[in-house]
Amino acid sequence: MAAEGEVTFSPATGHASRTGTAERQSTIPWSRLGLYALAIGMVVLMTFPLLWMVSTAFKGPTEIFTSTPQLIPSAPTFENFQVAFTTKPVGDWILNSTITATLTTLLRLSIAVPAAYVFARLLLPVTRLLLIVVIGTMIIPGVVTLVPNYLLVVRLGWINTWLGVIVPMAASSAFFIFLLRQHIMQIPTDLYDAAELDGAGMVRTLWDIVIPLIRPGLVAVAALSFLWGWNAYLWPLLVLPGPESQTLAVGLGTYASDPEGAQLWGPLMAVALISSLPPLLLFLVAQKHLATALTSGSKG
Amino acid sequence: MAVMRTTPQPAPQSNVPTSRLVTAIAMLLPVLTLALIFEYWPAVRSLYLMFFDWNLVSQDPEFVGFQNFRTIVNDSRFITSIRNTVAYAAILAPLQIVLPLGMALVLRPLATSRLSLAYRTLLFLPMVISLPVAAVIWLWMLNPVNGVVNGTIEALGGIGVNWLNEPRPAMASVIVVADWSSIGFNILLYLTALEGIPHDVRDAARLDGASEWALFRGIEWPLISPTFFFIVLTTVLFVNNEIFGVINILTHGGPYSSTSNVLYYLYERGFRFFQAGEASALAITLVGFFLIVTWIQFRVGERKVHYGS
Repeated sequence: MAAEGEVTFSPATGHASRTGTAERQSTIPWSRLGLYALAIGMVVLMTFPLLWMVSTAFKGPTEIFTSTPQLIPSAPTFENFQVAFTTKPVGDWILNSTITATLTTLLRLSIAVPAAYVFARLLLPVTRLLLIVVIGTMIIPGVVTLVPNYLLVVRLGWINTWLGVIVPMAASSAFFIFLLRQHIMQIPTDLYDAAELDGAGMVRTLWDIVIPLIRPGLVAVAALSFLWGWNAYLWPLLVLPGPESQTLAVGLGTYASDPEGAQLWGPLMAVALISSLPPLLLFLVAQKHLATALTSGSKG
Repeated sequence: MAVMRTTPQPAPQSNVPTSRLVTAIAMLLPVLTLALIFEYWPAVRSLYLMFFDWNLVSQDPEFVGFQNFRTIVNDSRFITSIRNTVAYAAILAPLQIVLPLGMALVLRPLATSRLSLAYRTLLFLPMVISLPVAAVIWLWMLNPVNGVVNGTIEALGGIGVNWLNEPRPAMASVIVVADWSSIGFNILLYLTALEGIPHDVRDAARLDGASEWALFRGIEWPLISPTFFFIVLTTVLFVNNEIFGVINILTHGGPYSSTSNVLYYLYERGFRFFQAGEASALAITLVGFFLIVTWIQFRVGERKVHYGS
């Protein structure tokens, strides 16, 4: 038995370690094992519903309704996707989700980037006041604007149109302006001054200097905006009542609620899988960009 | 012109020619216009609409004073939705605040392992998919006929539960789905906060014979309490807004309004029964409720965060 303070070799960790007491030495690997078990249990619990969705999406009708369910489909099939696409306008939903999420992001960035640049660059009483006006919208809760905005969209004739989703959603971009402004403020001011000495105006400086420098932040903000747009539910539910005008999130919800759709678990999971894929892929790809965006300030 | 320098960076320009100012205002104009049309004006309009009786179709809204508030208060479904909102907050708060803290503490010792990125990604996945998708997956899992949840319970010798058609199980279901789809974010926030704590501080204290609880109380808690406070604040907002999608797909507020919250009730009054005035009155009431809760949280939170450290 190792005496106190002696250097020992622990087979579990493969390291030579200096331990305080003999007792500690034997408990460390066990508690470590328990920790791993707990962590694995948590991860399994959290990911099981997603695995179950994927599994059901590829199961045939008889396998879905067996009494002893299996995670891996015994005979994987695309039948559920066929049923979903033929009974519901899933193609339209995919198009609507893609267009609204993409255009909301583009519109939002095209108005938010110049605003963020002005707010970062000019610290005048006027621009400060306007910054408060813009950031102030973050305090206005969504519930308060719901009914009046719906009435406005009806008046504009935007019900069942992409515009009805895109414009009001892009209008709430204070959070994005705030994020972008943080990124722009980290650019050394010498860079602007040099550009302006060369006679470049604000628009040119923004385009040539600022946008290339904040690209990682811009990608992260764009990814976030696309995710929000793609996953938006309440507002598209209100302004897109027509079956063919709906987005995937709204369409999936109504599909699950209507009498013919309920119980069609295979096709429902197929649509659920389709609507989860872009956010999941985007998250996996943008994870790095998000990290870059967060650490870009500390590198200097 | 005296301009306060608030940033450590070289101060942005404070003295500009008029032509530049004009360009700057032009660059701000789209954002300001949209903010006025879709944020400020609607907020003002809600304050006005709440005094009118209007079904969204007829030409003239009719002024009714505080009638909308009286109608709401006398509707038993409103009282139920308030009670449910409070119940959701009371049950979800610990599940969103304390549970992820526990999970982060379990995961923290593994933070240096190669698995770190894998489990972070996996835990975050439910957060990335939308609430409607989450709700539909669980609709299938909780289905009484072939759902995997009842299947598992029965395989273990238990009796299946009619999850979505009985008040208490239905509310439990909404809570589980809402918690599942959002808890990952809070775990990551806590993990990030915990990793900011230097290892040698803990090791030194442990060598002095401090217990795990004493370590947590003395070292981690003071340092993560701002994160904790932030999560407390966002949870209440989440409970009322985001949970709407889960309720609308999982239970439609039922059975017998037992799972409806205030936002769901507002949605029904405004967009199922087309009572614009009532919905506006509800929205304003809800905002008042939020402000009070947030204010209380700030008061309590301030004290906790200061004296805890």
